[in-house]
Amino acid sequence: MKKEMKIDEFCRPGEQLAEIDPAEIIPLPPPYDRIEKAPIRKLAEEQRKRMDASLDGVVAIGLTPPASPEEEKAFIEKFLAGLEKLFSADDNWTFLQPLTHTLEYCVKCQICSDACPTYLASGRQDIYRPTMRPEILRRIIHTYVKKDHLLLRKFQGSDIDLNWQTLARLAELAYRCTLCRRCAQVCLLGCDNALVSREIRKVFSQQMGIAPKELHEKGSVQQLRVGSSTGMTPAALKNIMEFVEEEIEEKTGRKIKIPVDKKGADMLLIHNAGEFMAWPENLEAFAILLDAAGVDWTLSTEIAGYDSVNYGVWYDDIQFARVAIRQSMAAKSLGVRKISLGECGHAHKAGIVVADRVLTGDLNIPRESILPLLEEIVLRGRIKLDPSRNNFPVTLHDPCNMVRLMGIVAPQRRILKQICPQFREMEPHGVENYCCGGGSGFAITQSTNFPDWRSAVSGRMKMKQILTAFEDVPGPEVKKYLCAPCSNCKGQFRDMFEYYGVWEKSGILYGGLVELIVNAMTNLKKPFIQWEWH
Amino acid sequence: MPQLEVGGKAYEVDEDGFLQELDKWSRDFAQGYASIEGIEGVLTEEHWKLIDYIRDYYAQFGIAPMIRKMCKDTGFNLKQIYELFPSGPAKGACKLAGLSKPTGCV
Repeated sequence: MKKEMKIDEFCRPGEQLAEIDPAEIIPLPPPYDRIEKAPIRKLAEEQRKRMDASLDGVVAIGLTPPASPEEEKAFIEKFLAGLEKLFSADDNWTFLQPLTHTLEYCVKCQICSDACPTYLASGRQDIYRPTMRPEILRRIIHTYVKKDHLLLRKFQGSDIDLNWQTLARLAELAYRCTLCRRCAQVCLLGCDNALVSREIRKVFSQQMGIAPKELHEKGSVQQLRVGSSTGMTPAALKNIMEFVEEEIEEKTGRKIKIPVDKKGADMLLIHNAGEFMAWPENLEAFAILLDAAGVDWTLSTEIAGYDSVNYGVWYDDIQFARVAIRQSMAAKSLGVRKISLGECGHAHKAGIVVADRVLTGDLNIPRESILPLLEEIVLRGRIKLDPSRNNFPVTLHDPCNMVRLMGIVAPQRRILKQICPQFREMEPHGVENYCCGGGSGFAITQSTNFPDWRSAVSGRMKMKQILTAFEDVPGPEVKKYLCAPCSNCKGQFRDMFEYYGVWEKSGILYGGLVELIVNAMTNLKKPFIQWEWH
Repeated sequence: MPQLEVGGKAYEVDEDGFLQELDKWSRDFAQGYASIEGIEGVLTEEHWKLIDYIRDYYAQFGIAPMIRKMCKDTGFNLKQIYELFPSGPAKGACKLAGLSKPTGCV
């Protein structure tokens, strides 16, 4: 399918605009170079009638076409009303300044396109350019909000035909950007085209109630209702903690009571609830390590106090604020000195950076990343470690929000260099890393054929990097470890590795950082890391 | 909302075939769904052991059990679960047990 796309085509109902072509997506090293299956499952005919997939045949939202012209008109008017709010300082005091800056200053030089892993991996499909969404938004503003004269619009090339199809595609397109902000990093003018993706999502969510179910209904709404986006209630949490304590005793021979709701503890540690449901070894490793280092810490069983996720940071300011406040209230009710965030990238961005705009007065409790504390424990010798226990190839995946957004780059590396003799960097890394492909909610978007897209396209650059980092030991007989200190990234690696058959073909296990530290602890009789696919 | 016919009855399911009305679940539903999930013939005692375990856990805690806990409590390892339910514990066993699709960062 042709790759160059004119904006007129974007607005024309009907035909699918782009198709992921197996011959054009960037190649992977052998044995991943053989194309065994279509990269993305096609939707059933019946699904295509209900859900608009005319952007690229993929569905993250899948809007249903309007039943009448009146319905279409109402839909468009609602969007425009949301757009007005987006540019009002009262309604969008959070992000108005960087949004306006980006829309006004971008000169479409396309440096950002060459930095975008999704655009590159797709075989340079026009629709995935970081400048595409802002361009469509800019034209809608010129034509329907500022209402520039038609001649001026034609002269400037800022005209657009706004119809249901344009908006349905724009809504989907806002969910083809992982918000990794590699585009923003390379921009010479400081424009943040990823923020534009996020702000488009915000109009759809806050004004129109449109967002992927996994983010909203089953995500932030569920978190505020039962305590966690996983649906895990405080009772389920306690049941899981008992299991975790049993496992710790089996693995280490030591009984460790995990501190829960401990009033006046120094630090409230908030994990991504994914750890409780899918990666309990991460919780176990944290408990073993903090106990051994004598840290005064606690978990919380309050609503949102045991789930660090804040999906609002990806799509909705209001949901964001609600969750951030609940998390801070959980800390306040325990009287802890600070909140520390476990291995979760977006929770770092949400809780430590963005929440600063929401939390005031005594809710503005100090909030920090756990990584510097882990570094101190390892480098100051607070526990005994034997690096030879980690004598296998290890590489590090950088969660975008920790490195690019926050500049937390060195602690995790100093730890790995100290305890992993075969540590090697992937290229590029640190603040120039590539996203896992599951950023901004993609890793949890499990519906229809979207998981295929994030494995085949948005995660593909990362996949290539990982394989290249281990190119000296490619076969499955040498077991290798991909350290990914982020629950969301781990979810993406689990799905993507299954998609490509990575465990069978290459023997790469993914896991967190604390697991490696605990694996090196000298007083553990057995290795902590279990080389089993999960 | 898509509908799926299982054993001659129509059920409301999500886009990936997970049952939406949890109270409509029956043992016939699980048996009827087995062939759709690539399980041949009649569900065995081992299949039911897992399905019952998942349903009990869900009734008690409102969520699907953690896979590691499921393995430990039922005595099956992950490989055996995949042999019983080719789509795996979440997409296979939980689906037959009539649970919603797992959500959140899991």
